[in-house]
Amino acid sequence: MAIAQQQRPPIWRNATVLKWGAQIAVFVGLVFLFVTLGAQSLDNFAQRGLSYSYRFLSDPTGFVVREGIAFQPDTGARALYVGLVNTLRITISGIIVATILGTIIGVARLSHNWIVNKIATVYIEVIRNIPLLVQIIFWGAIIQQLKALTDDHIGSYTFWFTSAKGITIPWLFPTATFYQWLVWVIIGAIATRYVYRWRMRVKEATGNETYALSWAFGTFFLFGLIGWFAYPLWSWLGPILGWIGDVIGSIPALAVRLVLLGLVIAGVGAFASRFFSNLRAGDNPQLNNSVIFGMFAVALVLALAVFGGFLAIAGGIEGAGGWLAFALIVAGVAFALKLLIDYVAPRTLVSGLVDDDYFRVIFAVLLGVVFSGLFFGVDVIGETIVKLFSAFFHFLEPKFDGSNTGAPFRYAPPAVEVRGAGFVQLSSESLVITPGFFALWIAVTLYTASFIAEIVRGGILAVSRGQSEAGNALGLSRFQLYRFIVLPQAFRIVLPPIGNQYLNLFKNTSLGIAVAFSDIVQVGQTLYNQTGQTVPVVSLWMAFYLSGSLILSSIVNFANRRLKLVER
Amino acid sequence: MAIGENDIIVCEGVKKWFGDFQALTGVTTNVKEREVVVVIGPSGSGKSTFIRCINRLEQHQEGVIAVDGVEMTNDLRNIEQIRSEVGMVFQQFNLFPHLTILDNITLAPIWVRKRPKDEAEELAMGLLQRVGIPEQANKYPGQLSGGQQQRVAIARALAMEPKIMLFDEPTSALDPEMIKEVLDVMKELAESGMTMVVVTHEMGFAREVADRVLFFDYGTIVEEGTPEHFFTNPQHDRTKLFLSQIL
Amino acid sequence: MAESKIVLPDLPGAEYAPEPPPQGPVVWMKENLFSTPFSVILTIIGGLIAVVSLRGIFGFVANPERIWQAVTTNLRLLMVQAYPDQHMWRVWVSIGVVVVLTALSLAAWRVGGRTSGRKLTGNVMALGGLLAIIGLVADFPFEMNVTWAGIGLALAGLGYMIRRMMGERAKAENIPVLAVAGGLLIGLVASLWVLQVPVPDPDSGIRAATTELLANTTRIPWLLLLITGFVAYGIGIAIRDWKPSRPLLVAGWALSYPVIFLHILRGTRMNNLSEYLLIGLAFLVAGAAIIYALVNLDIGESGRLISGILLIAALVTWATPVLIIIRLLLLILAVFALAAPTFGGSGGSKYRYMGIYAGTVVVMVYLMLLATGTSAVQTQSAVPFGGFMITWLLAIGAVALSFPIGVVLALARTSSLPLFRVMATVYIELVRGVPLITWLLMSVVVFPFLFPEGVEFEDVVKVLLFFTFFSAAYLAENVRGGLQAVSKGQAEASNALGMSTMQRTAFITLPQALRAVIPALVGQVIATFKDTSLVAIVGLFDILLIAKNVVPNQSQPFNFLGSIKENLVVVALVYWIFTFIFSRVSQRIERNLGVGER
Ligand SMILES: Nc1ncnc2c1ncn2[C@@H]1O[C@H](COP(=O)(O)OP(=O)(O)O)[C@@H](O)[C@H]1O
Ligand SMILES: [Mg+2]
Repeated sequence: MAIAQQQRPPIWRNATVLKWGAQIAVFVGLVFLFVTLGAQSLDNFAQRGLSYSYRFLSDPTGFVVREGIAFQPDTGARALYVGLVNTLRITISGIIVATILGTIIGVARLSHNWIVNKIATVYIEVIRNIPLLVQIIFWGAIIQQLKALTDDHIGSYTFWFTSAKGITIPWLFPTATFYQWLVWVIIGAIATRYVYRWRMRVKEATGNETYALSWAFGTFFLFGLIGWFAYPLWSWLGPILGWIGDVIGSIPALAVRLVLLGLVIAGVGAFASRFFSNLRAGDNPQLNNSVIFGMFAVALVLALAVFGGFLAIAGGIEGAGGWLAFALIVAGVAFALKLLIDYVAPRTLVSGLVDDDYFRVIFAVLLGVVFSGLFFGVDVIGETIVKLFSAFFHFLEPKFDGSNTGAPFRYAPPAVEVRGAGFVQLSSESLVITPGFFALWIAVTLYTASFIAEIVRGGILAVSRGQSEAGNALGLSRFQLYRFIVLPQAFRIVLPPIGNQYLNLFKNTSLGIAVAFSDIVQVGQTLYNQTGQTVPVVSLWMAFYLSGSLILSSIVNFANRRLKLVER
Repeated sequence: MAIGENDIIVCEGVKKWFGDFQALTGVTTNVKEREVVVVIGPSGSGKSTFIRCINRLEQHQEGVIAVDGVEMTNDLRNIEQIRSEVGMVFQQFNLFPHLTILDNITLAPIWVRKRPKDEAEELAMGLLQRVGIPEQANKYPGQLSGGQQQRVAIARALAMEPKIMLFDEPTSALDPEMIKEVLDVMKELAESGMTMVVVTHEMGFAREVADRVLFFDYGTIVEEGTPEHFFTNPQHDRTKLFLSQIL
Repeated sequence: MAESKIVLPDLPGAEYAPEPPPQGPVVWMKENLFSTPFSVILTIIGGLIAVVSLRGIFGFVANPERIWQAVTTNLRLLMVQAYPDQHMWRVWVSIGVVVVLTALSLAAWRVGGRTSGRKLTGNVMALGGLLAIIGLVADFPFEMNVTWAGIGLALAGLGYMIRRMMGERAKAENIPVLAVAGGLLIGLVASLWVLQVPVPDPDSGIRAATTELLANTTRIPWLLLLITGFVAYGIGIAIRDWKPSRPLLVAGWALSYPVIFLHILRGTRMNNLSEYLLIGLAFLVAGAAIIYALVNLDIGESGRLISGILLIAALVTWATPVLIIIRLLLLILAVFALAAPTFGGSGGSKYRYMGIYAGTVVVMVYLMLLATGTSAVQTQSAVPFGGFMITWLLAIGAVALSFPIGVVLALARTSSLPLFRVMATVYIELVRGVPLITWLLMSVVVFPFLFPEGVEFEDVVKVLLFFTFFSAAYLAENVRGGLQAVSKGQAEASNALGMSTMQRTAFITLPQALRAVIPALVGQVIATFKDTSLVAIVGLFDILLIAKNVVPNQSQPFNFLGSIKENLVVVALVYWIFTFIFSRVSQRIERNLGVGER
């Protein structure tokens, strides 16, 4: 029987051609769509006499951001920065409290005590099923309708004062000597570490109880206490810090740009090498050294091409030089692609990587390109970094002034004061939580806690089904069972979904806009209402939230991986 | 290698890599029509990879595989044609859990072979009769025992009226008392003249039914011959070692 | 130490036995409240929390400063905003459609188990107990405390009496749940005919001048709806053994959305009726012929070539000023032609495939008629939707539209084709990484700039589109979870049987994947439903924005200034009821799937 030899099937039946044809067609179609829409938006923008620009970042704003850190200087960039810090404040404090509350409620949901169980259930069912925005606005309304402060409040002492302008609670403010004290605390933390290790070593060697934890706490406390009085010891740091600030301030911006560029390339390289060595070490035996070397070659060529391009652009090379640089880029990219297709792709891209890896690699390269472009192309960045660092040291300089005296903290009780024509207001000396902050924070925290509670409950149930029997068989007490068997394992199960909840909380803070909380979205909205620069503002939002999400999820992933390692 | 008149599967120098690992290091063999070939060998020797290359569940990278005179290339038509002519039975049954037994069997005939529904059902009932479980037609796979499921899997493959049947350790996931009912079906199939390539550790089956035995190791055929020759007079050291361990 | 603060449950993993042995309240309390010293402490703390919360909540409700009338007077505003009086029947008809479909579905899917008299009376007693406790602890005026406690005790007593009377029979699970639910509904509707509501006097501005029965415009429609529901249930029982009843109902549910929101509520006048019908007819005939040819003849690749050309032609028309309906129908035809060899089958299935094509064309023509029609319902805004109506419009619209997109994205993300995978991943991660509100703001400030002058969208449409894209990304992740749960062997088995990629996806992978993620999908529906409240921020007058900004600013004819908390509580309640029902349905489905029904 003869074999119907057919080396090259016609195109429309060639599986490979069809596959890639379809993919490329869709891709090109999408790119075409986006380019069309983008061009149209530029057109429409131009018709209003506008063009996209980020100049509003350095221009003074016509509004003031009152929430959070000082609004100085009053530029658009500062406004967004203040908003960003506000977002992070809510996120971090919300995450901490929601985790604690959620865990308590989740455990309570499993309690055999009827009333505790029912309270937890009702809490979860109520909070979870009402839209977060409704809750935020509700809390906002409650605080908005609080009674005004009257003369009666003056001088009276309570744990808090509440009014439509905000809420005060007792608080400790750091004072001028705080930073000198902080040096002691940092030294104390390092010392604690060694003391703890030392006690543990003794314990292992002798087998006696050495109270390592108590020792550690004691050490830390001791240093804090010493620092409370001995802080002036560090006052000599002041002039040195000032000198460092001066030195940094004199660094030329170009040097910073070069260093930054180097850092970006090194960062991408380090990521690539870590990534691929992880793959090799882990679950992907088919990646060998030569493939990794190939990937490196690709990355290197790409980086060089990009670098050359930016050198050319930044150096203002024109005419033949510019074309040469351009040709170099094209050649470099083409060469890299060829390497990729001929050498690396057949072995890795086809079978080795999963889709997340593609995303990571692409994201890393894109980030690298974008950042190297930013760092090298935009002069301001280099200057700003120099200024920032220099300013940081100059900010610290007076903190280490020998003339600072007093305790490192100032206790600020909640207080009211009379301002202007007999208006009773919350004292500016105490901590004032603004209505927006309060409404957003409490709503977001309670809401997230209800989800965390369900996750915790699920995690404990998942573990305890089999494990608690084993634990009981070992004769562990209920407390021991929880402490050593159930919780550690449940923790591992619940970490990824709880990480998801953290991400949700982070994104949900953007709803603060409904109660006029100045987070990055609200500030951005005010900015584009003023300047009309919608797309630039939106791009900044996206950059912020995407990198925030990425950072948060990598923290969670990191923790997860650590836990898994311990597990093995 | 000469291609015989009635060679229905032709393999020549078939090589296959997974990344850098070479799973097939050059397999050359032909299978005649109505022949029953049993493939044995240690675990990881490439038996599964080999028979999965025959219906292109895996893609070989070098060499030639031709089935019924059609060479396997990137040609969509060839792939479709070969797949619908080669039936396969898996170790894990791989029945479709969301479909009834009847639907499991009729799905491919209706949509791939474009048979009318009632005709396909008639055929399916006939096949269920043949594998001995017509009464299970309207149950779901989860409600059947392992042996019954594997028999359904055989019926499902047969419903496409293949010229060749591939079996990849069809009895390895079964409890001992169920192995026989599956092997019986396979014997009956072999007697009816089906061309079969069977990966199995059931030496009894190999001795009784096989026309030829292939011994695989390190991704290639180390030794081949009739069962008689193979079990009584193995030539190769590795074959001897393997047989001594398994028998 | 930190650990001692954590409330430890007494036994991990244990769930309550469905029914505690009848040992009397003392034993029960000993076991569930005072089993250990620790438990006693918990009970005291919990009891305090419960009492304080109950007092707080009911004190809030009964506080004389609360202007609950702001809500009762404005209920219609909250629900449908300024929907014109003379068109209100459209709202009732829409609800009627949903009621009929629900009743038919309840019958067709044989929903509803049975419960025992014991459980029922238990519920009554629990409710009575709760009322009594509230009456005892709440911060009410004294008479109200007494009334509540009295009613509560009476209810509890009633439940106890009935249980005693039933004796052993109470244990039998023989009372249909649906009958109980029906009885409750009858009671609710009947109460509309009895309960008196305070009526404000617009002339004097006094809020509760008199009390009256509810207006006839409300209680008569509810009564009619109730009767319709019962009748429909009866019909459903009669036809449920008829085989196509379930598929027809599914189609009915799918169509109910456009019928209600685009047709009935909008009061659409179909301006292009004759023209579109002709076009549709032409496509029916021509399409049927083409598909028949493609299915019937064994033309192999040339068939594929023909449909490929058809597809390119369909795409090209999008760059020309051809009527939109023609472009769409051409696209549909091309897709059906492409899939004809795969799904055409033979014999009966061939005609079924053509039938599906015909159905799609008819629905498309209908939708286009609606889309190009003008609205008979005139309100201040261009679109007559507002209030709670818009919540449903957005929630259901977003879920329905995002479902196919999400499935496609999930398939792309798990596909073996790297470019598709990368594109899908970038889309999904980009959408999920950024909060919804920024997308909604973009829909208002960036999206309109993307189109040439003259192309304009209503705000609702813009927001709906962005909701859809947003929800699709989340849905895709859920579906991906399901796809990954389908074992590799399934795909291999279908490949070995010679199925094409499309067939494998449609018959094997997707059905299994979707079944596995139904609970997650319902969760997604709940999330989307709650998320619709965000449109208040971009200025759509949904129930939340009305409750927040409109009602609390009314000073004429009645003074409802500052009634924001009352309104928000009611809004929260409305959302809560529906989300709670959804989540219960989801749990039920999960249980059923777990049991392995099919
Ligand atoms: N998808 C795959 N990726 C990587 N390696 C594989 C894959 N499939 C099989 N292998 C490797 O190929 C070798 C042969 O496998 P297989 O054909 O399944 O062996 P057998 O069926 O003889 O036990 C094994 O070493 C196995 O690890
Ligand atoms: Mg194998």
